[in-house]
Order: sequence, then C-alpha cells, then structure tokens
Amino acid sequence: MSGAGFETLKALIVEDNAHMRALLRALLNSVGIKDIAEAPHGEAALRVLRERKSDLVLSDLAMKPMDGLEFTRQVRNSDASPNPFVPIIMITGHTEKHRVEAARDAGVTEFLAKPITAANLYARIAEIVERPRAFVRCEGYFGPDRRRRMAEDYAGPWRRAEDFADTEVR
Amino acid sequence: MTAAAAKQAQFIAPDAYPQMMSTQDAARAMQTLRSATTAVKAQLAMEQAAPPMKLAILQYVCELEEFGTDMERVFEKAHEIRGFAETAGLITTGRISEILCRYMDDMARIGKPADAIIVALHVSAIAQAARAEKDDLAMGEIVAAELAALVARRLTEALR
Repeated sequence: MSGAGFETLKALIVEDNAHMRALLRALLNSVGIKDIAEAPHGEAALRVLRERKSDLVLSDLAMKPMDGLEFTRQVRNSDASPNPFVPIIMITGHTEKHRVEAARDAGVTEFLAKPITAANLYARIAEIVERPRAFVRCEGYFGPDRRRRMAEDYAGPWRRAEDFADTEVR
Repeated sequence: MTAAAAKQAQFIAPDAYPQMMSTQDAARAMQTLRSATTAVKAQLAMEQAAPPMKLAILQYVCELEEFGTDMERVFEKAHEIRGFAETAGLITTGRISEILCRYMDDMARIGKPADAIIVALHVSAIAQAARAEKDDLAMGEIVAAELAALVARRLTEALR
C-alpha cells in the first residue's frame, strides 16, 4: 500500500511528567512517528507550536503554569495560533464529568483517561484519522463539533445555517 | 446578514480545513495501527515503562505521606499516582488513589473540606498497596470497596 502513513507526521507531547512523556513517545514511535517534540506545560507548548509545525498534539490536563485546557483554548482561539485545527488528544487522570465537559468545551478533539493503554491511545488516533471531525465556530466556542452523532428524533432547536440546508424544518 | 443569522454557528466540514494526513496516508496509517507488529512494539513499550514508573510511584507515595493535611498537594499527588499506577502494574494502588481523588473532588465541588481522617486512611492504604511485594488484587478489591463505601457515606452526610 502506498502512502507514508505516520512516518512524515510531526507530533507534540505536552506533559509535565517525564515518565509519561517517555511512554507516550515510545507508543508514538511504535506506529512510526519519529518527529516528536515535547513540552512540560502549555506555555512552552505554545512556543513549540509557533516554531515548529505539529500535526498531532497529545496533552495532559493538569500542568503549571498553563494547563491543558488553557493551552487548547489558546490553540483554537488565539490570533497567534499557527494551526487552530490541529487535533488535540487530552490525556488525563481527571475523569470527573465536569472536567471531561471542560475539556470538550475548550476544544479538544479526543479525550483519553489515564491509566493509558496502547490500544486506547491508538483508538483515539484512529478516530482522528478515519473520522475527522467537522469544526464549529459559534458564539463562545471554536473547535471540533461537540455533537458526535445526530439523534434521529432531534426536534431542535436548529442553530446552524447548515441545519437548514439539508433538514426539513416543520 | 441579520443578527439571528450572525448568531448561527458556522459549520466547517473536514474537507474544508487542513487534515492531519492525506487519504492515501490515512489508509496506510490505519493499516499500521491495526498491525500485529505495532501491537508487539506497543506491548514492549508498555513493559519497559513499568519499572521506572513503579520507582517513581514509590517516591510519590513518600511525598504523599509527607504532605499530611496539605489537601491541595495531597490531591495533586494522588492524582499523579492514579494516572500511572496501573501502567506500572500497581492496580490496587491506582484504584484506591482513584477513590481518594473522587472524594476530594466531590467535597471541593460541594464547598466542604475533605475529612482529614478519610484522607489519611486512603493515604495509608495507597502506601501499603504500593509497597507490597505483590499486588494482592483480592485484598485490594476488599480494601477499595470498604473505602468507597466509607466515602459514599461521608459524602451523603456532607450533602445533608
């Protein structure tokens, strides 16, 4: 099969724990991603993103001085962001519902709960590769579409211009 | 454009913004993700990561014990332990850390201080589990269930 696959991809790991960074690097290496930059927190990661193209970001949530949520908001919304569409997988032990929702509302592409397994990480990457998400820009949010699926019996409200293009509204 | 139209969300389809990789590369990438070779390499990576992580967790446990009633630091460290205890093969340690984190998070959300005795019990259980020579899953299940029941009772009391 032709195509470079992961070999030409550039990844960025944003994680304050050196052991976790090493594990994530090894798991990315296992699929052929060799060009990997690392940053210990969001602020440093933003600098890396400005200096070097990144096709995929794996980010922790709890970091100082800038956490993964603020980092994601900056990537998605800052005028200085080099790629507001870059896929961001948030990897965290903070799995409480309100934190997952906060990550979703910040604009993460995928959420992965620690402890991580190779299978879970690869499933999130496969999701990005196979089913890239549409992006939504609305008041107070820019990021991947937070509606994963369309409920067949959804009766509205219809808030997107596109909702009217292919939906009969009664 | 009317104000209502301006307020409507703009929908950007995947083919309208730069993708992580081309369709051709994606097919190859999926083949790699699903290959047996990748699974073997990943398994090896996980196995190699476990020993240094276990050493790190033992260090974190010492720090956790030293933090005493400094709840913010206890929460941060317990969270860190929860994050990779299971990756290091310390399943019981991970489960008890998970219960402690959820308890402290729930108490913070309802605006009440975490009970120092409950926290100390968890810290002690985490330390014992991490330092045990073998991860005793059966005993770990019992301890975790007891602690979870205790936490549930205390949370119910706190919500009254």
